[in-house]
Amino acid sequence: MRKLGSVLLVLALLTASAVGLAACGSSSSGKEGGTMTGSYASFPDYLDPGLSYTSEGWTALWDTYIPLLTYKHTSGPEGNEVIPGLAKSLPKITNGGKTYTLELRKGLKYSDGTPVKASDFPFAVERMFRINSGGSPFYTDIVGAEAFAEKKTSHISGIKAADKTGKIVIDLVKPRGTFTNELGLMFVAPLPQDTPIKNMTAEPPPATGPYAIIKSQPGRAWGYERNPVWASTNGKLMPEIPSGHVDRIDITVIRNDSTQVNETEQGKIDWMQPPPPPDLLPQVKSKYEGTQLRTESTISTYYFWMNMKRPPFDDLKVRQAVNYALDPRAMERIYAGSIAPTQQILPPDMPGYKKFTLYPHNMGKAQQLMKEANPSDRNITIWADNEPENAEATQYYQDVLNKLGFSTKLKEINADNYFSIIGNENTPDLDTGWFDWYEDYPHPNDYFQPLLSGESILPTNNSNFSQTDIPELNAKISRLGEETLGPKQEAEYAELDREFMEQAPWAPYGTRTLTTFVSSAIDLDKVIWNPTFEDDLTSFQFK
Amino acid sequence: MAAGANGEATPTAGVGPWRLALRRLRRNRIALAFLGLFVLIVAFVLAAPLWANHVAHTGPNETHTLQRITAGGEKRDVVDPEGKPIGPQWFEAGGKFFLGADSRLGRDEMVRLMYGGRTSLLVGFASALITTIVATFLGLLAGYHRGWIDPVISRSMDVLWAFPVFLLAISLGIGLAVGGLEFFGLHISGGSLWIPILIIGVVMVPYMARPLRGEVLALREKDFVEAAVAQGAGSTRIMFSEILPNLWSTIIVFFTLNIANNMLLEAGLSYLGVGVQPPNSSWGTMIATGNDLITSAPLLTILPGTMILLTVLALNVFGDGLRDALDPKSKVRFEAHAGVAATGAAGTAGVGELGR
Repeated sequence: MRKLGSVLLVLALLTASAVGLAACGSSSSGKEGGTMTGSYASFPDYLDPGLSYTSEGWTALWDTYIPLLTYKHTSGPEGNEVIPGLAKSLPKITNGGKTYTLELRKGLKYSDGTPVKASDFPFAVERMFRINSGGSPFYTDIVGAEAFAEKKTSHISGIKAADKTGKIVIDLVKPRGTFTNELGLMFVAPLPQDTPIKNMTAEPPPATGPYAIIKSQPGRAWGYERNPVWASTNGKLMPEIPSGHVDRIDITVIRNDSTQVNETEQGKIDWMQPPPPPDLLPQVKSKYEGTQLRTESTISTYYFWMNMKRPPFDDLKVRQAVNYALDPRAMERIYAGSIAPTQQILPPDMPGYKKFTLYPHNMGKAQQLMKEANPSDRNITIWADNEPENAEATQYYQDVLNKLGFSTKLKEINADNYFSIIGNENTPDLDTGWFDWYEDYPHPNDYFQPLLSGESILPTNNSNFSQTDIPELNAKISRLGEETLGPKQEAEYAELDREFMEQAPWAPYGTRTLTTFVSSAIDLDKVIWNPTFEDDLTSFQFK
Repeated sequence: MAAGANGEATPTAGVGPWRLALRRLRRNRIALAFLGLFVLIVAFVLAAPLWANHVAHTGPNETHTLQRITAGGEKRDVVDPEGKPIGPQWFEAGGKFFLGADSRLGRDEMVRLMYGGRTSLLVGFASALITTIVATFLGLLAGYHRGWIDPVISRSMDVLWAFPVFLLAISLGIGLAVGGLEFFGLHISGGSLWIPILIIGVVMVPYMARPLRGEVLALREKDFVEAAVAQGAGSTRIMFSEILPNLWSTIIVFFTLNIANNMLLEAGLSYLGVGVQPPNSSWGTMIATGNDLITSAPLLTILPGTMILLTVLALNVFGDGLRDALDPKSKVRFEAHAGVAATGAAGTAGVGELGR
């Protein structure tokens, strides 16, 4: 009897546990299927993987076009990890870091049923050069790429692809420590070789990822459906990439952010891609934080550049005075709390970041430095784009410069043209101005090489706005750029960060936080925020 | 005999047209009331430096993001940690932030409203002056000379007219924002107030030049012009000494209405970011700034909007009164009202076209 009692007790406990687990399972697993609706404030720059170079575009394309390598579909620093995409494994790097060998997974298909071939990779790289993509500079170290970019004839000799074996060999002219990261960008995601050599935003090419774009009305809307070949082939071959929960995603452009907030609150849309406007953010936060809204960190730096080649910013003391005078706390208020103060080049979460504060706010010290420098030229032009918060931040900066004794003139330019205007050497009076930089990939070189290396000073499309050209630091950037990132390199990048800030080419003031805001129908806890690609469409699930 | 507004008989014989116009205007109480309102607005904006220096103790572009003020015995943030600017303090802080702060930059809204009004009125007035001078000159040339000059000027005006005013002004604004303007050796930088003044002044020219040309075409056939030709007067003298004085009433009415119209255009352009450049304030830029905080601080949009509304209304009603007073056809109506037979006639050519 005692034995039977024990058995019955165990059985009862097991049954209770099973029921409990089942109950937990059903509440946490959520629904599969359904149509999710979302909104953007503007149409992405392109819905063409070879061309898109904005975070909005990358969010829209990440689950559609899979490169040979990709990034882990997780939130936080773990999402910085490069994992195999269409390739079987991470590349084998030989020849002193100059040869990358990869192998395409066998049996992959595009959403139209066409088999994916190894030669689709060189096609995608060449197509990207032919359509003058903004991503081209990442791939000019491939042997023959520069010549191809110039003439756009024949082929890039440094890429060899064998369709039969799926083997892809890439030869570089010199080692490039960031190349693994760059192979994970959608610029070089393989595409069918009959893809036209033009912007395909209106008719996006077939997909390799879990979702395929099935309609695109540029300027207004676009939509996804599950890739018909995902479940049967690609999904099985790439288990690291999630399959997604909803069957269909419809995205509409709603230009008014307040309308987007209202519609998300009312459940008319399930997700708004931009953050709620600063005016509404405190109210939205107080009502929905934790249930429908989550604050997300980004790997970004907001800063004011100072042209080191023109007076008065050719004087180190003047640049340091500006850094001391700028108060990051004011910036926090201007951005309504959506910026975290920082005074260095590398943002938190970027490998190599080590916090330091060289210029704690001290107006007295700033004025003392200005007195010592006593610049003869005090007439300066300040450049800004016209996005409300950035424009206000620059107006605050202008007031700070006025208080330091400068005579300032502000030029506010439409955000669409801002980069090309301040990146053109023929633009007059490029003294100082605003800029922000979001990582292209989680590697510190992505900050130093394009923004602060002397090699990056270009007559057009220049991104080294401060015209920083310090030979010893240039050499360090170049050397580190050839090495694979490890703890030793991270320490050196941290040191480089400090060395640059001692020269004060910038006055950095913060790193931006964004938000994920969803309707009450979506399970917020499941939504993945990748540091590079932001909201992951495969992670949205109805409760 | 003509009768005044109160029905009292007033003698008109031997009174000059200007004096007669003034007399008519004085009887138009509504027009005078709105003239009074306009004068009040001008006085308000001219007092900006006094208010800024002696009451608010801050300039229009000075930021106070992190400042705390004492109002009603308690310390208050000008901009709270969530980025919301302080609301109207009236006189609780000794006149500081009387209407609150304008944005997350914590600038004094009252000071900016006053200085912004100066900018808006200056742009409206200066651009209307440019429009008037250029349009009068072109209208006289085209209407009097005819020949090849008329089609060249008229078709050029047609080309300008063909573009929607806003689109043309926006294109010019964007084009000139960076490099500014080189004009007969004179350089106007991109952020200068002269850029919106010139843009608005130029794009409005056809709207005034065409109706003026029509009037000149009619006037050049009049006997007094033929008499001047017979006396050997040259073209320049006939245009400026014989025809122009007969256009004054139309020009004055146009000028008044143009100021109002141009202020609206300036507000629209500044709202879109191609008019007055920040940090300078105008009522248009203030609406744009306030728009960003429309749900939490609607007053920041309503205040400059109301100022534009009142100024434009005042100028339009006064302009209408002025037209009634100056236009000979109004005289007919005036006399008809006084019991004299009305002959009926159209209003001043083209005035109604301003609203296009």
